[in-house]
Amino acid sequence: MSIDPRLSKPAGDEAVMIEARGINKWYPNGYQALRGAELTVRRGEVVVIMGPSGSGKSTFLRTFNALEDFQEGSLKVGGLTLSNDLRQIDAIRREVGMVFQQFNLFPHLSVLENLTLAPVLVRGRQRAQVEEQARRLLERVGIGEQADKYPGQLSGGQQQRVAIARSLCMEPEILLFDEPTSALDPEMVREVLEVMQTLAADGMTMVVVTHEVRFARQVADRVVLMAEGQVLEEAPPERFFTNPSHERTRQFLSQIA
Amino acid sequence: MPLPPVPSRRSLARRLQAELFASPLDGLISIVLITSSVAAVLGLLHWATRQARWAVIQANSTLFAIGRYPESQQWRLWLLITLLAAAAGLSWGLLRGLPQPDRPAQRWPQNDRLALLLLSAMAVLGPFSLKLSVAIQLRWVLITALLLLLRWAAGRWAQRIPGRWQRWLPLLWPVLYLLGMVLISGGLGLIQVPSSEWGGLLLTLLEASFAILLCFPLGILLALGRRSDLPLLRWGSVLYIEFIRGAPLITLLFLGQNILGFLLPGGLAPERVWRAAWVLTLFAAAYVAEAVRSGLAAVPRGQMEAARSLGLPLPLALIHVVLPQALRVALPATVGQFITLLQDTTLLSLIGLSDLLFVAGTVMANPQYLGHNAEVYLTLAVLFWCCCAALGLGSRALERRLDPNPLPSS
Amino acid sequence: MSASPLPAAAPPIPWWRNRRLLPWLLQAGVGLIVLVLVAFLVSNLVRNLTAAGLLLSFGWLDNPAGFPIAETALPYEPSMPYWRALAAGLVNTLRVVLAGLVGATLLGVLAGSAAFSSNGLLRRLARGYVELIRNIPLLLQLVFWYFVVFLALPNGSAAIQLPGLVLAKSGLYLGAAQLVNGVWQAPISLSVEFGALLTGLVVYTGAFIAEVVRGGVASVPRGQWEAARSLGLSQPQTLVRIVLPQALRVIVPGLNSQFISLAKNSSLAVACGYPDFYSVASTTGNQTGRDVEVVVILLGAYLVIDLLISALMNGVNRLVQLKER
Repeated sequence: MSIDPRLSKPAGDEAVMIEARGINKWYPNGYQALRGAELTVRRGEVVVIMGPSGSGKSTFLRTFNALEDFQEGSLKVGGLTLSNDLRQIDAIRREVGMVFQQFNLFPHLSVLENLTLAPVLVRGRQRAQVEEQARRLLERVGIGEQADKYPGQLSGGQQQRVAIARSLCMEPEILLFDEPTSALDPEMVREVLEVMQTLAADGMTMVVVTHEVRFARQVADRVVLMAEGQVLEEAPPERFFTNPSHERTRQFLSQIA
Repeated sequence: MPLPPVPSRRSLARRLQAELFASPLDGLISIVLITSSVAAVLGLLHWATRQARWAVIQANSTLFAIGRYPESQQWRLWLLITLLAAAAGLSWGLLRGLPQPDRPAQRWPQNDRLALLLLSAMAVLGPFSLKLSVAIQLRWVLITALLLLLRWAAGRWAQRIPGRWQRWLPLLWPVLYLLGMVLISGGLGLIQVPSSEWGGLLLTLLEASFAILLCFPLGILLALGRRSDLPLLRWGSVLYIEFIRGAPLITLLFLGQNILGFLLPGGLAPERVWRAAWVLTLFAAAYVAEAVRSGLAAVPRGQMEAARSLGLPLPLALIHVVLPQALRVALPATVGQFITLLQDTTLLSLIGLSDLLFVAGTVMANPQYLGHNAEVYLTLAVLFWCCCAALGLGSRALERRLDPNPLPSS
Repeated sequence: MSASPLPAAAPPIPWWRNRRLLPWLLQAGVGLIVLVLVAFLVSNLVRNLTAAGLLLSFGWLDNPAGFPIAETALPYEPSMPYWRALAAGLVNTLRVVLAGLVGATLLGVLAGSAAFSSNGLLRRLARGYVELIRNIPLLLQLVFWYFVVFLALPNGSAAIQLPGLVLAKSGLYLGAAQLVNGVWQAPISLSVEFGALLTGLVVYTGAFIAEVVRGGVASVPRGQWEAARSLGLSQPQTLVRIVLPQALRVIVPGLNSQFISLAKNSSLAVACGYPDFYSVASTTGNQTGRDVEVVVILLGAYLVIDLLISALMNGVNRLVQLKER
C-alpha cells in the first residue's frame, strides 16, 4: 500500500537532490559544530545518519532546510544553491519537509488544519482541495478518523504520524527526519517506523537521523557515521554494520549494540 | 494548600459546623465576623433606605450618562445604543449557535440563562428606579428586547448562514465602532458635536474603548520588538516599556495636556479628549507588551521552526502559529490590563475632562445636592464594579472557549 | 557565507531578499524614522518655547514660590524658593509612601494568609475583600475615604476617642491626646488628608498584595503542608514556619511591583487635598508655565523612587532565595 500517489514523478535534470561540500559551522561562542561535513544524496535514496550525541548530525541535517546556517562551504538542495537569498531559501523550504523529534504540531489547530495551513497559505491552493488531499494522507498513515481532533488529544505515535502527513501535504521532494522516534514510548516507535518504511518504498528521498539500527538495516540505501562534526564513514548497511572500515565506527557500534 | 473540609455529603448543619466552628479559636472568629458583618449590612440597609436621598442620582441621570451632550442630537446616541445592542445580541447568538468542531453545541447554557434574567431585570428595574420618564423606560425595555430577540434568532438559525458570509461577521464590530464615532462626533451630514460637550459615562466608555482597541496591537508590536534579535528594536522597546512603567499615569496625562502643544508646529494640537486618549493608549501598550511577552516566552521554539520548515515566511508564521498560542497564554493578564484601563479613565477628572467622576464632582458641587457624596460615590462604585467584574467573567469565558483541550466530560 | 569552490559566480542578491542585509537595513530604516520624528518634535519644542520666552532652564527654581502648602514636614513658607516647595512635596510623598508600604504589607499578608484559614467565613470574607477592591477604581476609593468617611468625622468633644488614638475632623491624633480650648493636641498629629490617602492606599494595595501572598503560598507544593501536619505542627505554625519562608521566594518579586505601584499611586493625593510631590509640581507648572522642566523633574523623581524600591527588593530577594547547590 503506497502512501504517496505521485510515485513516478519524472526526474528533473538533477538526480542529485542534496550536495553538501566542505560545510564548516562555528557557534558565536567559538565552538565548531561542523568540520568540513560532506554528503551527496540522490533522488529516491534513503540515507541514515548515525553518531554519538554532540556529533553535529542534527545540526548538519538542519542546514539542508536552512534552519541552521553555516560560515563556510557550499550546499545545493534540489538543484538550488543555498545562499543569503530569501527567495531561494523559501523555495528550498517548500521542497524540503522536516519531521521533528518533538513533533511540533500546532496545538491550537485541529489535525486537519495542521495539514492544510501551509499548502493554502504558501502554495495558494484551494482549501477544499487541500482538505481532501489531507484526509487521504491521514487515512494512509492510519489515522483518518482523527482529522477533527486536536493534537493534545492524540498519543505520541499518532502525533508523529500527523507530523509526517503534515510534511507530505506540501508535496516535498525530500523529507528530513530528526530523531523521529526518540521521544516516543517504545510501543509507539514501530507504528512510526512502518510509515517511514512505506514512504521509502514509494521512492521518497529521505535523510534520517536516528538510533534505530533495525530500521537502518532494512530501509537505508546508505548509512553515514558522523562524529565531532565530520562525516567519517559512508557505506551500505550490510557493510556498515558488519564490517566498518573506520575505527570510530567500530567504537560507536560497540556502544549501541 | 490546606486540606479542604470534606465535601457536601454531610448535612448543612454539619458542614457549617466544620467550616465555622472547627476549633474554639475558629468559633470565636466566626462569632465576631458574623456579628460585625450583620451589623454592617443592617446599618448599610438602614442608611440606604431611610437616610440616603437618591434624588441626586435620579435627577442627574442624563448628566451622568452623557454629560452635556446637546439634547437635540441625543437621538444619535439612542441610535448608537440600539445598534450596539443589536450587534451584541447577534454576536452572542452566533457564538452559541456556531460551536467549535470538536465540542457539542449548547444553545442556552446555565450562564446564558442567568445573563438573560439579569438583563431583563436591569431593563425593567433600572430605568424605573432612576425615575426616568415612561417613554424612556419603554425605550430601554424595547432595546433589551431587541438584544434578546436577536440572540435567540441568531442562536437558532446560525447554522444556515453560508460559510463564505461567516468570515465577514467579525468585521461587524470595527464597522460599528467607526459608525459610532461618526454618530457621536458628527460628519456625513450630521451636525458636529464638539468633544468638549461629551461627558459622563459616554466619555468614559469612549476613552476606555479607544485605548483598549489601540493598545492591544501596539502592545503586541512592542512585545515582538522586545524579543527581537535586532539590537535597535530590542533596546528601543525596552527603553519605551521601562520609561512608561516608571512614570505615574497622572504625570503622563499632565505631559500630554500641557506639553503636546509645544511639540507640534504652530497651534496645531489635537483636542484634549484625544490627547488623553492617546496617552492612555501609549501607557497601556507598555503593560500589555509585558503580558504578551510572557505569552511569547511560553511558546516552544520548535513551533516557529516547524512553521518555517513548512515554508511559511516569518510574518505568516507569527500570525498563524506563534501569536495565537502566545495570546492565549497572555489573555488573563491582558484583560487585567484592560480592566485597569477602564478604571484609569477616572484620572481624566483630575485634568479637567468630563468623565464620570468629574461629572459626579459637578453634581455634588450643586448647592441643591450638597452633602450627597455618599450616594453618588456608592452608585459609581457599584457601576464600575459591575463593569469590571463582567469583563473579568468574560475573560474567563473566553479562556475556556479558546482552550484547545476541553475536558472529556464537559 | 563565503564563496564555494564551485565555479559559477552567483548573481548579486537584491537587498530586499538578502538574509544578511535585510535586518540591518530594517533597523537603519526604523532608526532613521525615529530620529527624524524626534528631531521634528524637538525642533518644534525649541521654537515654541523660545517664542513663549520659556527656553529650557532651571534657574527659575530659585525664585520665590508664592503659594502655600497645606501641610509639610519640611519647614516651608510661601516666600521660600520653588525648589524648597518641591522638596517639601517630595518629603510629603515619601512620608505617605513609607507608611503605606508598611500598612499595605501588613494588611496584605493578613488577608492573603486568611485565604488558608480553616475558618470558612474568614476565607470567604478575605476573598470578598479582594474581589471588591480590585474592581473599583483607586481614585474613586480615595475620594470616598476622604469625603464620605474622614471629612464626616465629628469634631471637638464629639470626636471618636480610642485608646491612644483620637479621630476628629480636624485631624488624627496619636498618643496622649488632650482637648485644649476645643482643639485637640497630641504628640503626633496627622491631617485627615494624610489619613484618607493612607487608608485608601493601604486598603487598595493591600488587596493586591493579598493576591500576591496567596499566589506565593499556593505555589508551595502540597507535600510540604502534609509533611508538617504529620509532624504534629498546627495550621498557623505550619503556615508561619514552613510554608511562608518558601512562599517568599515567589512573593518578593510580586511585592516589588506592588510597592512601585503604590509609590506611583500616591500621586493621586491631589484628590484628597494632600500636597504630595505631584500636586506641588503641577501647581508650580501652572504658575510658572515651565511645564517641560516640571515634567522632567516629576519623571526623574518617580523614576528614582522606583529604582530605590527595586534595589531594596532585589536585596531582599537575594536574602530570601533558597540556598541551592
